[in-house]
Amino acid sequence: MQIFIGLISLAFFVLTFELIRKRILREEYAILWLFTSLFIAILSLWPRMVPLISKITGFYYVTALLLIVTVFLIAMLMHFSTVISRIKDANKELTQRYGLLELRVREMEQNMPS
Amino acid sequence: MPAYNEEHSIGGVVRNIKALGEGYHAIVINDNSNDQTSLIAQQEGAIVIDLPCNLGIGGAVQTGFRYALANEYDVCVQVDGDGQHPTEKVPYLSKTLNEEKCDLVIGSRFVVKTDYDISCMRRIGIQIISLFLWLSTGVSIKDPTSGFRATNRKAMGLFAKDYPQDYPEPQSLIFAHKYRFKVKEVSIEMKNRMHGTSSITSLKAGYYMIKVLLAMFIDLFKKP
Repeated sequence: MQIFIGLISLAFFVLTFELIRKRILREEYAILWLFTSLFIAILSLWPRMVPLISKITGFYYVTALLLIVTVFLIAMLMHFSTVISRIKDANKELTQRYGLLELRVREMEQNMPS
Repeated sequence: MPAYNEEHSIGGVVRNIKALGEGYHAIVINDNSNDQTSLIAQQEGAIVIDLPCNLGIGGAVQTGFRYALANEYDVCVQVDGDGQHPTEKVPYLSKTLNEEKCDLVIGSRFVVKTDYDISCMRRIGIQIISLFLWLSTGVSIKDPTSGFRATNRKAMGLFAKDYPQDYPEPQSLIFAHKYRFKVKEVSIEMKNRMHGTSSITSLKAGYYMIKVLLAMFIDLFKKP
């Protein structure tokens, strides 16, 4: 089980690194994923951390852990939704300005004595 | 005039606008159509703004407001590119706007009974949207989904900055209320669509209505 989790975290880490290297993923988002993989790695190398966390937080059940993971995932999704919204707004703005500018260029070219 | 794949009808609409005489300019916002819409509109003498991405009707109409504002038009009339709006009523809309000192004039299908053929589901949907608008803002507009409307410079300026993107016609009325526009609705006889299909089919009307109401509800709380 420990090896399995370790492999998952390693694969995760390599994937994140590869995505940054190929410039598919930007560093600002990658940091989050790197920390996530690091967290999983610690979990696999030091399994006694789980009971320790249970002791500190008072979560003794798997369902509670599941809840934490779910909340984390939902928060991530919300974050991505806001990012997408922002990008869509920027895209709209750019598209509109591009259209308006292109028309101006076309009109200027037509009015220019050749 | 927002247009998306309207090559069959756009030419006629542009010609009708040009036929209104001097002082009327046909401005087509081609929302990244993949047909001949842009070319045909240009051949008919329209001013054509080609958008490099498909923004949807809200983004396209807003581009029109921006153009009209920048080029110092006094009145901006939104007309569909599919030919269902009677272009000969454009002067009537803009005259009403000026004479009654309104900020927004809506050409409506239902103020008095006209022989416009519309499916029952859509009619009910529009009535519910209208009722919601009345309950939430106290403004009574019988046809809040009409895309045949005239705006003055004040409305143009605000819409150029902030215009709803998802369901612009009904949502913009909430905006209009928040910005304290003077809105008037006049009755217009509409033709049936000559070509193409409406963005709202009868089957999807119910789902559309719920989404519109939700969007309008959220708009009520939006920060300016």
